[in-house]
Amino acid sequence: MIKWNFLKELGDISEHDQAALDGLRKRVLGTGAVVVFFVAIILLRLWFLQIHKGEEYKSRAENNRVRIREVAPPRGDILDRNGKELVTNRPSFNVVLVREDSNDIDGLLKRLSVVLKEDVSVLWERIRDAESKQRHIPVRLKENLSWDTLAYLETHNKDFPGIRIEVFPGRFYHYGDMAAHVIGYLGEISKNELEETNTDFYRGGDLVGKMGLEKLREKELRGEKGNSSSEVNARGFEQQLLTHVEPVPGNEVRLTLDIDLQKVAEESMDVDEKSGAVVAMEVKTGRILVLASTPRLHLADFDGGISSKNWSALLDNPKHPLINKALQAMYPPGSTYKMVTALAGLAKGVITKDTTFFCPGHIDFGNRQYNCWKHGGHGTVNLKRAISESCDVYFYQVGMRLGVDALAEYANKLGLGLKTQVELENEKSGLIPTKEWKKKKYGVKWQDGETLSLAIGQGFNLITPLQLCQMTVILANGGKRYVPQLIESVTDADGNVLESFTPKLAGELQENEKKYLTLIREGMVEVIQGARGTARVARIEGINMGGKTGSAQVVRLEQYKHLQEENIPYKYRDHALFICFAPADDPEIAVTVVVEHGLHGGSSAAPVAKAVMQKYFANRIAVDQIRKAVTPQ
Amino acid sequence: MFCVDRRFFVNFDWVLLSLLFMVCGMAFLNLYSATYPPLGGMPPYLKQCYLLLMGVACIIFLISFDYKELQLWNYPIYIVTIVLLALVIFVGNSAGGAQRWINLGFFQLQPSEPAKLMMVITLASYYSRKEVANGYSIKDLITPIILMAVPFILILVQPDLGTALMFVIIFISMTVFAKLRWSSYIILGLSGIALAVVGWFFVLKPYQKQRVETLLHPVKDSMGEGYQILQSKIAVGSGGLFGRGYMEGTQGHLHFLPERHTDFAFSVWCEEWGFAGSFFFLAVYFFMLFWGLHVAMSARDRFGLFLAFGVVALIFWQAVINLLMILGFLPVVGIPLPLFSYGGSSLLTTLLGMGILMNVRMRRFQTESTLESCEL
Repeated sequence: MIKWNFLKELGDISEHDQAALDGLRKRVLGTGAVVVFFVAIILLRLWFLQIHKGEEYKSRAENNRVRIREVAPPRGDILDRNGKELVTNRPSFNVVLVREDSNDIDGLLKRLSVVLKEDVSVLWERIRDAESKQRHIPVRLKENLSWDTLAYLETHNKDFPGIRIEVFPGRFYHYGDMAAHVIGYLGEISKNELEETNTDFYRGGDLVGKMGLEKLREKELRGEKGNSSSEVNARGFEQQLLTHVEPVPGNEVRLTLDIDLQKVAEESMDVDEKSGAVVAMEVKTGRILVLASTPRLHLADFDGGISSKNWSALLDNPKHPLINKALQAMYPPGSTYKMVTALAGLAKGVITKDTTFFCPGHIDFGNRQYNCWKHGGHGTVNLKRAISESCDVYFYQVGMRLGVDALAEYANKLGLGLKTQVELENEKSGLIPTKEWKKKKYGVKWQDGETLSLAIGQGFNLITPLQLCQMTVILANGGKRYVPQLIESVTDADGNVLESFTPKLAGELQENEKKYLTLIREGMVEVIQGARGTARVARIEGINMGGKTGSAQVVRLEQYKHLQEENIPYKYRDHALFICFAPADDPEIAVTVVVEHGLHGGSSAAPVAKAVMQKYFANRIAVDQIRKAVTPQ
Repeated sequence: MFCVDRRFFVNFDWVLLSLLFMVCGMAFLNLYSATYPPLGGMPPYLKQCYLLLMGVACIIFLISFDYKELQLWNYPIYIVTIVLLALVIFVGNSAGGAQRWINLGFFQLQPSEPAKLMMVITLASYYSRKEVANGYSIKDLITPIILMAVPFILILVQPDLGTALMFVIIFISMTVFAKLRWSSYIILGLSGIALAVVGWFFVLKPYQKQRVETLLHPVKDSMGEGYQILQSKIAVGSGGLFGRGYMEGTQGHLHFLPERHTDFAFSVWCEEWGFAGSFFFLAVYFFMLFWGLHVAMSARDRFGLFLAFGVVALIFWQAVINLLMILGFLPVVGIPLPLFSYGGSSLLTTLLGMGILMNVRMRRFQTESTLESCEL
């Protein structure tokens, strides 16, 4: 026999022990009183329920042949600004299991797995997820049954005790994956969400918005559940419907997006599989007309829970489809930032309309040489030409005279470095550096040379495409910073409008600053319409446009400098940016395009913006052409 | 090690065995009704037969050696149980659901059940070894608190709040029984209140708070827990004086009563046998527990006394909590009625506990020397 050394002290019972033992025995007797106390409570309660209230409960039991069931409400539709249906409901048929109605779940699942063509382990997984729920609450085993499966299960329901078919309003995407990042997707409510929501509304298995407006507008879209009660017979089968409370359908949400423009934008991005973002906004209201991020999410993959294979493919994709690049990704603004430098220079009195600088192709500052993109130099340039030909040296000069903090001040005034407050998740604020910021972040003093890089949009600067579009809007509308908005209206099932679009002003330039915008816009018009503009490719016959190209360095690696552009590895290529507005004399729409690793704003980003503009102005262009055709030369 | 002689039969606790037999008989009868009609697969009452046979084997095993051995084996038992509890968390499924079982092939073991018995053995062993004249000081309690806290936390994270709280209840019962100093009561009481407050505001999740709240307003949540308690009260109440008759309860057979063969098994009994039948059952059940206390008083040494007392406390508190829940006084916490609710791990654990009681009873006269003499 094994004896444990540390317990060796077990010994014979002594007199002293015997006395202590007697003391304990008396205490045992005392605990008997506790038992008596609880037994008395239990018996009194039994007396109360069974004898005193017995008749009442007996009649309640008699009437208790009514089974209550929840009826899911149809979720609200999502429309575009013109009332075109983007997302509506399509009923899906799901298999659910009520665990307490089945004695042999193992055998049942084995039979079911053959019918559903689903692995038994997958079905078990679903049941294990619902382990902590009560056994009378149904567990969903599979969604979106085909008609064949549905018919088989209905006719063979005797073979599958505990299995029921549930009709569930699923989602149908009329335009496929267009605007996927804005719309978002639905998924089964997670354990955490279930625990965190304090309402009685949700049950396990309910679908809730997981991303985008489906998530943010969940409360409006979901509606109110109805319920039905029906009489059940002695075997528990339903006999007769007693009451039925119709569910209240979710509210209809109309977006500011124009799905036709959105489609053009996304399809143009699909050419060459460009990764990036397109944003278009109404200049005078802040309505978002297009908000696209590519590569797109495939919404159908999320229907009924995304498979782990698809999910890891999304995570591993080097083009990061899960990120909404319009507002969750940050890029250096490149030359599009020169608008900020120009405005700051004019407003601070560093330059005037006619100030000229000489561009020899580079500038020496400190012990470094800062190059213009045009190595031969632009010669003597004024502001308008500096913008239209994107002369770096001109803006080095302006930036040098302004300093980093003046640049930051005007970047902020144009909405850069601030969240736009758009109604979407995880918006990034971007980064507009100041002297103080650098000191805090790196503990080092700001170098004046860094201001030069900053003035042409390289360096620490980071912006989101949405911010860039907002900036273009401010430039185009004469100084008003509108909050970009996505919701045109929310309407309930009875047609009552609960919410409708009103422009929200987040800030405005001062009068003395506003007057410089005309000059800047003239420069931007030259970019497209001018003979030597950098974005002449974006020109549209009949519509005057203003714009600016930009390319943002991803890395400054000497080893790639000698390479031809097409030989640089994809991930080290510059990002291409393009901003524009039209019509030039009375702007209505602003478009921003960012193409990741697209090299040049003019060659890869501008054509996308042009396609959007062409679609937007399609009617006017057509009218213009007809007029030209009928007017004699 | 085996000791089979005449005294075995003379000293054997025939009273306890008869009471146990009656309780298990009623439980079996009730289980048959609660799970009728069988839905295919192995019917639960048949499974219960196998479990009872395994239980008898467990009892025979437990009375075959002197209970003193349990004290020697206390720490190995403790460590094995802790490993099993940890295994449930780490080896168990990580899909998000509470994982409480280890699949042994023929049997799904729920380690938190035997862990309760292990706790009784551990505390009995500690308090019987460490004897103090005027009650235990806080310093003396550090070891048992740690011994209790480890399984408590492991079960809490499963998550199974109800079972975890059972450990605290067993600990309090046995510690208070072992006698504390007044200062210890005050310190333990205050820190208990502090822990409860912190727990309510920072640890309890909204759905757990909701459980407590549904108890106060059951109508609010007519499909969830309030539903269960309401249906249970209807079942119990509709039983009246003599019940609706065996196999005649509508609440159970029409599936209004959830968990009717596990946690809410006694509701079915109340519905079908009425106040008379419920009274009879409770009389037998609690007489069995009183007999357990009698066994504790007749124990030959401190360890036996603590052991028997702990086993009775374990069964008693589970029974009280389950009954108060069925009668609508407590929230749904998932504590079974020992021996009566269907569930293998709980049944086998309780039968092991009964084996311990019988063991203590049988060896109430034995001393060290007689033990040695009968060793084979």
